[in-house]
Amino acid sequence: MTEILRNEGLKRVRMRLITAVVFVFTLTCSGSFGMEDVVSSSGPGMTLLMILILPLVWSVPMAFVASELGSMVPEAGGLYRWIRRGMGEYWSFQAGWWWTLSLYVDSAVYVALALDYMQNQWGFGSAERAAIGIGIVAVFTFINIRGLELTGWTLTIIQVLVMVPLLIFTVYGITKGTGSGFSPVLPEGESFLTSLNLGLAIMMWMYSGWESMSTLAGEIQNPQRVIPRALMIGTPLVIATYFVTVWASIRIANLAGPDNYLNMWTGGGGQDFVVLAKVVGGAFFGYLMLMSAILSNIGLYAGYLATGARPQFQMSRDRLLPRFIGITHKSWGTPWVAVLMMAFVNAVLINFNFNALITIDVFLLMFPYVLIFLTVMIMRVREPDTPRSFRVPLPTWALGVWVVFPIAIAIIALFVNGMDWMIGGLAGILTGPIAYLVFKNIYKGTTDEALEGSTITPAGELTEFGAAVEGAGS
Amino acid sequence: MKGQKMANWAAVTGIIAGAFAIGGALYARSVDSVFGIPQFFGVYSDYLSGVHVLVGLGVIMVVGGLLSFKWPSVGGVIVCVAAMIGLIYTYNRGQYRWTPYLYYWWGPWLFAWICGIFAGYAAYKNVPQSSEKLEDARHAEGMGG
Repeated sequence: MTEILRNEGLKRVRMRLITAVVFVFTLTCSGSFGMEDVVSSSGPGMTLLMILILPLVWSVPMAFVASELGSMVPEAGGLYRWIRRGMGEYWSFQAGWWWTLSLYVDSAVYVALALDYMQNQWGFGSAERAAIGIGIVAVFTFINIRGLELTGWTLTIIQVLVMVPLLIFTVYGITKGTGSGFSPVLPEGESFLTSLNLGLAIMMWMYSGWESMSTLAGEIQNPQRVIPRALMIGTPLVIATYFVTVWASIRIANLAGPDNYLNMWTGGGGQDFVVLAKVVGGAFFGYLMLMSAILSNIGLYAGYLATGARPQFQMSRDRLLPRFIGITHKSWGTPWVAVLMMAFVNAVLINFNFNALITIDVFLLMFPYVLIFLTVMIMRVREPDTPRSFRVPLPTWALGVWVVFPIAIAIIALFVNGMDWMIGGLAGILTGPIAYLVFKNIYKGTTDEALEGSTITPAGELTEFGAAVEGAGS
Repeated sequence: MKGQKMANWAAVTGIIAGAFAIGGALYARSVDSVFGIPQFFGVYSDYLSGVHVLVGLGVIMVVGGLLSFKWPSVGGVIVCVAAMIGLIYTYNRGQYRWTPYLYYWWGPWLFAWICGIFAGYAAYKNVPQSSEKLEDARHAEGMGG
C-alpha cells in the first residue's frame, strides 16, 4: 500500500520492520571490515572491550536519542528537522549542511574501498577502475531513484551475502582458532591512552550512523514507530556482529603466533578478514570473504546515497537551498535531483585522490552529533508533554548526564586525529555560516508555521498533516 | 534593522579575528622573519610568506568586520572566507601540513566562526521568511526563489 503526499511529492512506502532493521544495520555496520586496523593498533583485548563498552557512551545514546526525536518529529530530513525544532533555522541549516557535506565525501569512500578490494584481487588499470566505479554509482543511483522499496530489497540481499561468509568465518574462529581473543589486552609497550588514539577514531567511525535512517522518515509510513523499533533491534545486533566476528578473527590470527594480531590491517599486505578466511577455509572461502567485503562497502554506499540525499532535499523545500534540489520524480516520488547530485559528486571523487577531503568527513559529522544531543535536551525541557511514541526511559536530568559522554567523546575526537583532520575540518566548518548567509539572502527560508510536512506545531499540537499521517507522534 | 545587535556582535568578533591574525603575524615575524616558504599552490612571491598572508587576510577580516555593522551577511562571508583561505594555505607550504602555522590560525578561525554565527542570526532576523505554500515538489519551479 502506498500513497503520495501531495504537498511534497514524496511517496511514502510501507516498510516492514525487518527491512528497516536491514537499513539500520547497513548504515551502522554492514559487516566488520575495517576493524582489523583497530586490533593491531589498540590490541586484541582493548578492541573487544571497546566493542562492548564504547556503544554505552557513544552509539547507544545516539540510537536512543534518535529514536525519541524521530518519534516526536517524524519528518522528512530527519535530524535537520529535529534541530530546526529545537534550535531554530540557523543551527538546523548548519547541521544539515555539515552532515550532507560529510556524506558527499563519505559515500564516495565506500565505492573507493570496494574498488580497492577489487583492484587488489584482479589488478586492473585505472581506466577499468573508473569504469567499474562509475558503473556501481550508476546502478545504485537508479535503484535509489526508483524508490525505497527497491533499495530496501537490494540492501537485504546485499546484507545476506555479506553476513553468510562472516558467520561461517565465526564458526571457523570457534572451531579452528586458538587463544582467548582478549590476550594481550594492549600491544606491548603501549599505554592505555596511546593504544586508544587510532583505535578510538576508527571505532567511532564504525559505530556511527544511527541518526541516518531518520532522514527517510518522510518516505516511510508510520516512521515514528518503525524507525525507533528498528534502532532498538539494530543496536544489539551491530554490537554482537562486531564482537563475534572480531573475536573470531583474533583467534584465527593467533594460529600464526600470539603476536600475529600486529599484522592485522586493511589496505593490502596485512592479515585482513579476507586473508584470515583463506588461512582457515582455503582459497574459495577467501574468495567468498572478498565478495563479502566488496558488497559490504557497496551496501554502505547504497544506504548512504539514500539517506545523504534527503536533508538537502528538505532544506531546498524549506527555501534554504536552490529549488531544483527539491524536485521529486513524478512517478516514483523520490528526490531524484538530490540523489543524482550526490551520485555525480561521488562519481567524480572516486576518480581522483580525495584523501584531503576524507579528513573533513568525521570532523564534520561530530558537530551535527553535538547539536542532536543538545536538541534532545532542549526538547525535553521546552516541550516535555509533546507526544513521543518512544521516550528514552530516563528522567531528563539522567538523560542529560548520559549525553554528556558522547558529546565529550565527539569533542575529544576533534583533537586526537591529527593535523590533516583538524585543518580540513576547521575549514569545512566555516562553509556552514558562509552557505547560510548566501542561501538565506537568496531564498529567504520558510516560517515555522508554513513548514512543509510538519507534523507538530510550534505549540506542540498535531498539525492537520500530522494527524493525517498515522497520527504522528501519538 | 531587527538584527542590529547581532550585526554589531558579528562586526566586533570579525574585527577581533582580524586582529588575532595581524597580531599573530607580528609575533611570527619577531620570532622568524622568513617563516615558511613564500608560495601558495605553486605561485611564488615574497607577499605569500606566512607573515604576509596572516597580515593580508587579517586586514581583510577587519574590513569584513567593519562591513558587518551595516551588512552583516556580506561582512560575515568575507571574514569566514578569509579564515578558510588561511587554513587552506597551511596545507601547501612546501612542508606538508605546516603545523606551526596552524597555531596562528586558531584565534582567527574561532572568532571568524563566531562572527559567522552572529551574522547568521542577524540574517535570520533581517531577512523575512516566506509563509507561502510551495508548489508540489513534482512540479517544482526551476531555480527561482
